[in-house]
Amino acid sequence: MIDPEDPRPRILGVRFGVNPNSSSLGIDVTFLLFGGAAAVFSALVASVLLRGRTPVVLHGEDQEKP
Amino acid sequence: MKLRPEWNGALVALERPHALVSVNRAWARRLGVKDSPRWRGDDPGHLSAPTEVHLVVSKRCSAGCTSCYVDATPNGPALEARAARQAIDRLAALGVFHVALGGGEAMDLDYLFELAHYARSKGLVPNLTTAGLGLTVEQARACAVFGQINVSVDGVGEAYRRARGFDGYAHAVKALRALRASCKRVGINFVVSRSSFDELPRVVALARSLKLDEVELLRFKPAGRGTATFAQEDLTDEQARALFPLVRRLTFRHRVRLKLDCSFAPMVFWHRPSVALARFFGVVGCQGGNVLASVMPDGSLTGCSFGGPTEASIFDAAGVDRAVESGFQAFRGYAARAPDPCRSCEYLSLCNGGCRVVAAAKGDWWQPDPGCPRVVAFRPASRSVGAASP
Repeated sequence: MIDPEDPRPRILGVRFGVNPNSSSLGIDVTFLLFGGAAAVFSALVASVLLRGRTPVVLHGEDQEKP
Repeated sequence: MKLRPEWNGALVALERPHALVSVNRAWARRLGVKDSPRWRGDDPGHLSAPTEVHLVVSKRCSAGCTSCYVDATPNGPALEARAARQAIDRLAALGVFHVALGGGEAMDLDYLFELAHYARSKGLVPNLTTAGLGLTVEQARACAVFGQINVSVDGVGEAYRRARGFDGYAHAVKALRALRASCKRVGINFVVSRSSFDELPRVVALARSLKLDEVELLRFKPAGRGTATFAQEDLTDEQARALFPLVRRLTFRHRVRLKLDCSFAPMVFWHRPSVALARFFGVVGCQGGNVLASVMPDGSLTGCSFGGPTEASIFDAAGVDRAVESGFQAFRGYAARAPDPCRSCEYLSLCNGGCRVVAAAKGDWWQPDPGCPRVVAFRPASRSVGAASP
């Protein structure tokens, strides 16, 4: 179970790529084939990609849904 | 980079490389989100909105594929350009990240590229699937607007004709070459059926020879014209069990990324991958009305392109908001009422019982996917004790 108030910043999941298929969700099993090391590596890559960047927040703290 | 707060924390959409990263609240705070209304209360059990929506811009196509899941015809209905832009507006307002355009043959619509640029201007990444028939070099160059474009190839050479009912293989390969020269991410969509199963290695080899990015494997569905032939084309039990090991072998042999559509999740989980790893990489089954939703050419919003009730019209803002807030129970509600063997399956929260549309075609929307190897293995015992029904 995820503790949402865990004070340590955590990457909970990563999905690489986009899905061009217009009928169903594409599940990428490639990383599944490489085991836990792939998850550690992907979390590190994601952390590097996120670090120091400022995102556009969609429906953030001050925004109401249209 | 866009961020959407969710109960767990946030989803962050990256463009270079394309990725959706799920972070906890501490990471979201580090990215500048001090607080969010979505962080209050109990876990709603679903996302605040789909991450991707399939916009079926038309059911118009002259190819006449024998198993077209939308039953597309040369004069089928299509969204008008203005309505399509309105649909994009609504999806952008929801915070959807990706929109997959398809049909029908979306490439036949004169406003397709204008719509794709419009989606970009609204912060959505447009993606496309096409048959590639008659694709010109100019069109291929224009396809650079898409995040990824896949061409449907259901076999190599004669096998293509057998699968689709017309000889379009040469056109598809020509389109793939032209797209490879112009676009960053190009792949193949391959419908895995009983008769096409053995073609998979040749199609993956083709993808490698053309230096494509991926092959996406789609399960043959009982929808549209495919309904009539589903009984003959549904995978055998042996093929269903053999699919994931075959994907593993082909991935290592050809070093091509293989993706499976969500309805193949039971065939993956039969081989007992790590639950934590599958969750981390988003290896999940039916996500209708949660991760994905569909908009049909008449504007109806559904949980899945293949079936399920209409939840709202995409042009009705309040109705759409109600749907994402508390609708889509035909999909979201499965896990809570799942009968055995789903109920006792450790992958239920990921798999969500396999494909609802296949279950419905075999008799009951609320039954486990009858193509799941675990369900097949469960059947003889359940018959003897009469415990298969909910």
